[in-house]
Amino acid sequence: MATLPIARPRLARAQPGPRPRTLVSSSQLNLPRGKIIYRIVLTLVVVIFTLVFIGPLYFLFSDGLKSTTEAVQVPPTLIPAHVHPSTYVSAWSRVGLGRLLFNTLYYAFGALFFQLIFDVTAAYSLSKLRPAGGKLIFALMLATLMIPSTVLLVPQYITVANLPILHLNLIGSPAAIWLPSVANAFNIFLLKRFFDSVPQELLHAAAIDGASPLRTLRSVVLPISRPILAVVSIFALVAVWKDFLWPLLVEYGYNPSRETLNVGIYEAANTTPQNLVLAASAMAAVPTVIFFLVFQRNILSGLIAGSLKG
Amino acid sequence: MVAIARKADPAPHLGRSRAAASLGRKARRNVSAHGFLIGAVLCFFFFSWYPMYREVIMSFQKTQLGVTSWAGWANYIRIFHDPTFWVAWRNTLEFTVLALIVGYAVPFFVAILLNELRHAKGYLRCLVYLPVMLPPTSALLLFAYFYDPNYGLFNDILHTLHLPTSQWVQSPGTTIPSMAMISVVIAATWMNMGGATLIYLAALQNIPGELYEAAELDGAGLVKKIRHITIPQTRLILSMLLMLQIVATMQMFVEAFILTNGGAGVNNNTLSVVNLIYTYAFALSGASNYDSASALGVVLMLVLAIFSGTYLWLTRDRDHG
Amino acid sequence: MMAGITVVAALGLGAAACGSSPAASSSASGHVTISVDCAPPASSAQQHKEWNEDVATFEKENPSITIDSIYENPCEVPASFTAMLGAGTEPNVFYTYFTDKDQVLDAGQAADITPYVNTKTVPMLDDIVPSAMASVTAGKTIYGLPTSNYTQGLVINRQLFTEAGLNPNDPPTTWAAVEKDAAAITKLGNGIYGYGDYSAGNNGGWHFSSELDAMGGHMINPAGTAASFDTPEGAAILQALHTMRFVDHSMSPTQQLEWGALQKQMAAGKLGMYIAAPDDIYNVIVPQDGGNINDYGMGPIPTATGTPAGSLSGGNDYMFAKRDTPAQIEAGIKWLVFESLTPGQGVYFNFARQKADGFPVGFPEPQLFTGSTEAQYDKLLDASATINPSYYSTFANSRETPMGEPVDAQAVYKTLDPVMLSVLTNPNPNISQLLATATSQVNQILANSG
Repeated sequence: MATLPIARPRLARAQPGPRPRTLVSSSQLNLPRGKIIYRIVLTLVVVIFTLVFIGPLYFLFSDGLKSTTEAVQVPPTLIPAHVHPSTYVSAWSRVGLGRLLFNTLYYAFGALFFQLIFDVTAAYSLSKLRPAGGKLIFALMLATLMIPSTVLLVPQYITVANLPILHLNLIGSPAAIWLPSVANAFNIFLLKRFFDSVPQELLHAAAIDGASPLRTLRSVVLPISRPILAVVSIFALVAVWKDFLWPLLVEYGYNPSRETLNVGIYEAANTTPQNLVLAASAMAAVPTVIFFLVFQRNILSGLIAGSLKG
Repeated sequence: MVAIARKADPAPHLGRSRAAASLGRKARRNVSAHGFLIGAVLCFFFFSWYPMYREVIMSFQKTQLGVTSWAGWANYIRIFHDPTFWVAWRNTLEFTVLALIVGYAVPFFVAILLNELRHAKGYLRCLVYLPVMLPPTSALLLFAYFYDPNYGLFNDILHTLHLPTSQWVQSPGTTIPSMAMISVVIAATWMNMGGATLIYLAALQNIPGELYEAAELDGAGLVKKIRHITIPQTRLILSMLLMLQIVATMQMFVEAFILTNGGAGVNNNTLSVVNLIYTYAFALSGASNYDSASALGVVLMLVLAIFSGTYLWLTRDRDHG
Repeated sequence: MMAGITVVAALGLGAAACGSSPAASSSASGHVTISVDCAPPASSAQQHKEWNEDVATFEKENPSITIDSIYENPCEVPASFTAMLGAGTEPNVFYTYFTDKDQVLDAGQAADITPYVNTKTVPMLDDIVPSAMASVTAGKTIYGLPTSNYTQGLVINRQLFTEAGLNPNDPPTTWAAVEKDAAAITKLGNGIYGYGDYSAGNNGGWHFSSELDAMGGHMINPAGTAASFDTPEGAAILQALHTMRFVDHSMSPTQQLEWGALQKQMAAGKLGMYIAAPDDIYNVIVPQDGGNINDYGMGPIPTATGTPAGSLSGGNDYMFAKRDTPAQIEAGIKWLVFESLTPGQGVYFNFARQKADGFPVGFPEPQLFTGSTEAQYDKLLDASATINPSYYSTFANSRETPMGEPVDAQAVYKTLDPVMLSVLTNPNPNISQLLATATSQVNQILANSG
C-alpha cells in the first residue's frame, strides 16, 4: 500500500516575496516625509506599549523586593530604597511555592492531556464523522458558554461530591480538576472550525487506502493540526493556571500538598506580610509567561490559521 | 487538485445488496463517530449539563432546617422585588456598552496599527498578549494599587502633572457612565484585550492588498480605506467577536469583585448581575439566599441564551455551520 | 475501541478518586478517626508546630482516636463553606462563626450533641459564659462548643499618640475626643491618619453595628422583626465619621477598606486608631504585618457618653457534622476540651508555650469563662504575660457586655456597607436618606427570611 500523501496547506506566516499591501503602501513610506512619520509613530508605539503592558509588571516584581514597611509606603517609591532579594527567597519557602508550582503543573498538564484526548476526538467526530445527533450535541456544548462559572459553582460542587449514577466522590482528587476541564466548549469550537477546513480530498485519499477513522485522525489530520493544537493547548493550560474559585472548593484544605498556586497565595495573604505575597504573586506569573515566550510562534500561527479558515 | 479515482469497495460484501452494505457502513461509522464523542459528552454531562439542570431545579426550591421543599415561583418573585436587582441589570448593561466601546473597538484599532508597522511586530504582539497570561488576582492587585485614591500610582502621576485626581473605583457617582465603572472596564480591557487583538491581526493579514491599491487609485484617504475595505473585509470576525464580547462582559465578575473588595462600589455603582448572584450565594449566609442565587442564575442564563440565539439568527446567512 | 478506552479511563479515575473523600470512619475495632479543620497551615510556622504537638500528645493519651487535621487559613471561606454544607462534605468537627448557626441548621448539617455534653465530658461547662453557649444552642439543643469570643475596643498606636503629644494611657472614650485626637495625630503628616474604618466586604456594616451597640442602640428590634438603627445615635456615628473624613481630613481618602487593610496601616505606623478586637494585634498586626507589640494599646469603643453600653460580640465554635457517629461525636468533644477549652493547654491557652515560642501573651481576650475556671485562666495568663497589661486596662475595665450579633448578621452588614462607604467618599451625603433606605432594605431581608 502506498504511503498516504500528506498535503500541508500553506500557513499565512512569513511569506517569501513582496510584502502584501496594507493600508499604508510601502511606496508612501519610502518618501522622506513618510519615513520620518513612520519612525516617530513606531517609536511612540513601542514606548507606550512597553509602559502600558510591561510597566505594571515592573511594579509586581519590584514591590516584592521591598521591605514590609516600604511596600505600604505613602507615596510609593519607584525604585526600592533597599533591595531585599531575600524577600523572594523567603516567599518561596514560606508560601511553599515549589510544592504549589508542582501541583499546579500537575493539574494543568493532566487537564491538557485529557482535553487533547477527549476534545480533539470529539471535535473530529463532529466535524468529519458526522454522527447522528451531532448538531444537537454541538449546540448543547456551545450553550454552556452562556453560563458564567460562578453561577454553577455550588451545583457543580454538589455534583462532583456525589456523581449521579456512578455515586463517586471526586473531592480532593485531581480528577476533580481534570475531568471538568474537558467540558471546554470553546476549545472544541476552535478545533471543529479547523477540522472543517481540512480538505475532504485528504480524507478520501485515506479512506480509499482503507484507513479507519482513528488512523486517519492520527496520520493525516493531526500532523497538519499543529497550529490549532498549540492554541488549544495554551488555552487549556492557562485556564487551569488562572483558575481560583474551583480549586479552592475542591482541593483547599483537604490536603495542603494538593493546593494550586492561586489558592496557596490566597492562603498566604492572610498569614504573611504584603511584600512576601507580592513576591509570591510575581513568581506565580512567571511560568505561563515563559511558556508563552517559548511557544509564541506556534500559538500565533495557530490563532491565525484557526480564525482565518471558513 | 489531483482527481481521485474511485477504487472498488475494499471489503466486498458478496451476496449482500448495495443498500444494506452502505447501511452497515453507516452504522459502523456512527458507532466510531459516537465512540470518539463519548468522552467529551460524558464530561459535559457530569460537569456542565447536569449541574445546569440542578441549578434550575434549585431555583424552584426552598431549604429550611434541612428540609428541601418546592417553592414554586417564590424565589423569582423575591429577586424581582429586590431593588438591587434592577440596579444590577442596569449596571450590567452599562458595563456591556462601555466594554464594547473600550474593550471591543480598542483591540481592533490596535491591531490595525500593529499591522501597519514593519518592525518590532513580534515584540509588540507578545506585549499585548502578556497580561492575558497573568493570574487575574495578580493583575487586579496591581490595578487596585494603581487606583488607590490616596497613594496609588495614577493619582500620583496626575498630581505631578497638576491634573485633577480621581477617586477611580471609589467614585460615588451613579451617572452613566460612572468613573467607577470606567475604572473597572479599563482594568478588564488591559487584562483581556490581547486575545482579541491577535485574532484581528490575523484577519487583517488576510485582506488582499489589491483592494487598497484600487482604493488609492480612486483617491481614498486613510479613514475611507478603513471604512470601506478593512471593516467589510473582516466583518465575519468582527461579528463573531462582538457576540463573544457581549456574552463575556455580561459574565464579568472577578474584576469588579476584587477592585471593590467584594463590595459593589459606592451606591452599588459597580454591582453587576454576576456580583449579585455571588452576593446572594455567599456573602449573605443563609440557605434561603442561595435559592435566590439560583433563581437569578437561571434568569441570567435565559437572557444570554435569548440574546445569543437572536444574534445568531440575525447573522445566520453569514454563518458557516 | 475509542469508546471503550475513554469509558474505562473515566471509570478508572473515578474509582481511584473514591478513596480520597475527607469523611472519616470508625472501624469495627473501636478505632475512631475524626477530621478537624482550621488547623494552622505550615505558613504559620509556630502555630502549625504547636497544633501538631498537641495532636501527637492527644493521640498518645487516646490511642483509639486519630485526628485528621485539615490545615487552612482563613478557616472559613464563604464559597467553600456554603458548598460543603450543600454537599454534606464538611469535616466531622468543623469550624464556624457564631453567626453561621442558622445557615448550618437550614442546611440540615448540624448534629445534635446534647446527649454527649455534660460536666463529665466538659468539666468547665458551667463556667462558659452564657452568651457563648447561647451561640451554639437552639432552644434546648446543643450543636457545638464555643472556642473563642471577642468584644471590640479602640486599638491605638501608642507611639503616634506620644509623638502627637497625647497621653497613650488615656485613649479617647467619646466620639468628640476621638475627633480631637485624630486631628492631632494627622498633623504629624507623612501619610499618617488619625482614624480609620471599614466600608467594604461586609466589614463596614459590621463596624457600624458595633459602634451602634456601644451607644446602646440595636440594629434590629428585640422581636427581630424590624430594623432599628435609624436613630439619633446611628446618625451621630455617621456624622462623626463624615466629619473626620471631610472636615478634619483625619481619615485617609482611601476607602472601601475591608478586613486586613487597617491592620497593615497600623503596623506601618500610618494609623492612629481604629476599632477592633484584641486578636487583631496578636494575630495580625504583630506576627504578620511586622508591627512592634509594645506600640499598641486599647481603650473602650467610643460612645457619646464615654461608657459603652456593650459591644458587638462574636466568636467561633466547632460544630459536628450530621453524618458523625456517636463515637465520633464523643471523640470530637474530647478533642475540643483538650485543645480549646482547658486553660493552660491547647492552641489558645497554653500560655507558657506561647511565651516560649515568642508569641505575645496577656491579652484580655477571649472572655470565655467565669467562676473558678476564669480564676485559673487569669492566674496562668498573668504568669506568662509578655505584654504590659496596663496598655489594655481601660478596655478591660470597661467590661463591655457582649451583645452578640444581629439576626441575619451578614445580610445586615452587607446592607450597611454602602451607607458607611457613602459617608466616607461622598462630600455631601444625605445621612437620613441613607439610613431610611437601609432600614427598608433590612426590613425586606427580615421579612424574606422569616
